[in-house]
Amino acid sequence: MQNTLDGISLHQLFTSGYRNLKKNMEAINDLNVFPVPDGDTGANMVMTFGGGLQAVSETQTHVGQYMQSLSRAVLLSARGNSGVIFSQFVHGLSRGFAEKETVTFGDLAEAFACAKEDAYHSIITPTEGTILTVIREAADFLAENAKNYDSFQTGFDALQAQMTASLKRTPELLPVLKEAGVVDSGGAGLVCFVDGICAHLHGESLEDIQEDWSAPASMCTDFGPDSRLEYGYCTEFILQLMNYKTDLAAFDLQSFTNPLEQMGDSIVAVHNDGIVKIHIHTFTPDTVLGYARGFGEFVSVKIENMSIQHSQVQTAVQKEKVKFAIIAVVAGEGIKAYFESIGANYVIDGGQTNNPPVSAFLEAFQKFDAEHIVVLPNNANIILTAEQAAQAYTECDVRVIPTKSITEGYSALSMMNPCCDTVDDLIGEMSANLDAVTTGYVTTAVRDANMDGMTVKKGDCIGLDGKHLLASEEGRVETAKALVNRIMAATPKDVIIFFYGEAVTEEEVQALSDYLQKAYPLVDVGFVSGKQAVYDFIISLE
Amino acid sequence: MRDFVVITDSTSDLSLETRQQFNIEYVPMQYIINGEEFKASLDWEAHSVKEYYDLMRGGCRVYTTQVLKDTYLEAFQKAIDAGKDVVYISCSSALSASINVACLVAMELKEKYPEAGIFCIDSLISSLGQGFLAMEASRKRAEGLSAADTAAYIESIKLCVNQCGTVGSLEYLRRAGRVKASKAFFGNLFGVKPLIISDIKGQNFAYKKAKGAVNARIGIAEHIVEAANGVYEELFISHADCEEEMEQVKAEILKRAPFKKVYTNTIGPIVGASVGPGTVIAFCLGTEVTIEGNE
Repeated sequence: MQNTLDGISLHQLFTSGYRNLKKNMEAINDLNVFPVPDGDTGANMVMTFGGGLQAVSETQTHVGQYMQSLSRAVLLSARGNSGVIFSQFVHGLSRGFAEKETVTFGDLAEAFACAKEDAYHSIITPTEGTILTVIREAADFLAENAKNYDSFQTGFDALQAQMTASLKRTPELLPVLKEAGVVDSGGAGLVCFVDGICAHLHGESLEDIQEDWSAPASMCTDFGPDSRLEYGYCTEFILQLMNYKTDLAAFDLQSFTNPLEQMGDSIVAVHNDGIVKIHIHTFTPDTVLGYARGFGEFVSVKIENMSIQHSQVQTAVQKEKVKFAIIAVVAGEGIKAYFESIGANYVIDGGQTNNPPVSAFLEAFQKFDAEHIVVLPNNANIILTAEQAAQAYTECDVRVIPTKSITEGYSALSMMNPCCDTVDDLIGEMSANLDAVTTGYVTTAVRDANMDGMTVKKGDCIGLDGKHLLASEEGRVETAKALVNRIMAATPKDVIIFFYGEAVTEEEVQALSDYLQKAYPLVDVGFVSGKQAVYDFIISLE
Repeated sequence: MRDFVVITDSTSDLSLETRQQFNIEYVPMQYIINGEEFKASLDWEAHSVKEYYDLMRGGCRVYTTQVLKDTYLEAFQKAIDAGKDVVYISCSSALSASINVACLVAMELKEKYPEAGIFCIDSLISSLGQGFLAMEASRKRAEGLSAADTAAYIESIKLCVNQCGTVGSLEYLRRAGRVKASKAFFGNLFGVKPLIISDIKGQNFAYKKAKGAVNARIGIAEHIVEAANGVYEELFISHADCEEEMEQVKAEILKRAPFKKVYTNTIGPIVGASVGPGTVIAFCLGTEVTIEGNE
């Protein structure tokens, strides 16, 4: 029976919680309000916490110090609204545990109070019936009862029962959940996490499901058996200098890196307390590693073929000096290329099913020597992450225009005027038309659903405006027409742009174009091959 | 005191009626369609307005040439022969190199006729903005000012002629490349209208964007009314075969400012070639332009 925990046992509890979260990831993803396969809360929470766990030392005994490094690492990998809230929850726990070498269950009361505070602070307009409610009610419960439990096992059992009940009440607080017949996904994630902790306290050991999180879902590379190695390898390693190989006191970084200049370029070298970190672009990583190993042993090594890197992200090695740098989050090869062509300086790969973490934003920011960086998150679930990153970045002024969709992103980017004198003017012009944007989505229902007075079967084409199911006709073109007609009937618009997905044919585009020109002769209609997944059409109406 | 003639060119977009009323002459430029050269007539002698802009709508590329040396020689010589001075108000030097040729011709003629006063003024604007300066020169002549004093007056007010307009399609601007703007302005944008002003160097400069036709009209109206700064005398609006759109812009401006007199005309073939059909441009006298366009 454990009555106090140190950093090491806390890490074990969290690891078990994380494993259970990961086990239930898909089920959490499926807790989606719409019958659309784009739920991602589970994946976001797993990646947020997983990234944190990976980065911390499992041998840190001091709880306060352990929590501090965990909290920092979790923030860096935070993605998605639930992920960001989860990271703030962890941050709160670390505040509550600061200075503590070991903790008792009673200490959880204060930690959860801090966690509740930080979680609510991260959201501008907190919504009840979400993970926030689950956190708040847990904190309230602990404030009242934590002192009554001596052991973590009995305490967590009680807490878990309370949180499960709290989760079950979320549909009563949030009507969209009730209508869709689901509980809040973020709250469910948190409960899974606590379930995992309880399992560990009961002596169960959960296995880690192995999955490669680092590789993108569809890794397309042009590098084949007959390719030429054009750009070499981006090689990074951390080297622990060893006493038996080199004189640590006399180690000189400059003399160490001099021979590296014969082996490659773009060298970045850092030396701190016997640890050397090297970044180099080289055609012969084997030579580089062989040379480096003469001084010590590797802590970690990462080697990437830059021909593949190059085709995936076109990044300038040198920092681009600009007054304003516009960074947009976009999914879909076509939309990405399009956004770059109309003025985005850099595009972060991401979207509804792939929310980029804080660290992805920080990496993007670092690419520019800009006076101001303006971020277009283009997804309601990414805004918070972007704002966290903007706050964490100190090199230059970073602003976030809270664009909730690709279509709002287009509206802002299309109005971007680099001649503006000040960043406030720039943001003013970019935001000018955001309120007028309505977004339509056409996709296929993944389950039977009955909502907004419509009944749809799994496999039907459906048209939504992000809030309501508005159309369901035979085929995507007819559904798109009906959706546009309903939106135009409610509020006439001047501009309609279709971002069409991979499956859509040229004939279908032509048919839609012909129809719209007849139906709305005064409206400016455009088509962009977005090549996006999930949605056959993302329609912007301004 | 010697009388003088007021001469402008094909980019002034002045109607026959106005030219007659103010006794303004013009020297023509040329335009080339499918290898054939035509006089850029302000009275649409070779092609009608509709024919010309329909050719552009059909994808026909129109090339333009500056005023020829002989054309200037002939026009200026005629004035001198009649014992008159010349005030020539040219298209903005940022849009056409005609003014350089005019100055050369003027220098040559002055050597021959030292008593002749030939004043070539770079209007730093085009279309009815340039036309308005020619009208002002004519008015000063009627008030009894000399050619030299009139030229000085026009020089003093030319940067106070404000312009704001928009195009029917970005495509023509992209092709002709006569409007300064950043690359992002000309990306493949839908529903975005550039608001184009004439800057202190006489360059057409896309200084702002508007989303959709309605916002573009409002943008033009707000710019013109602000520039007029409370003095609502004359308003000028030219259009490239889009009278309805021009009327809407006019209404939008008059809703905000009761200009006493409104002159409208079509955009002639030279300006039209670089802005394309569907363009509407408004002008008025107002506060001095201070914007300088950069890429």
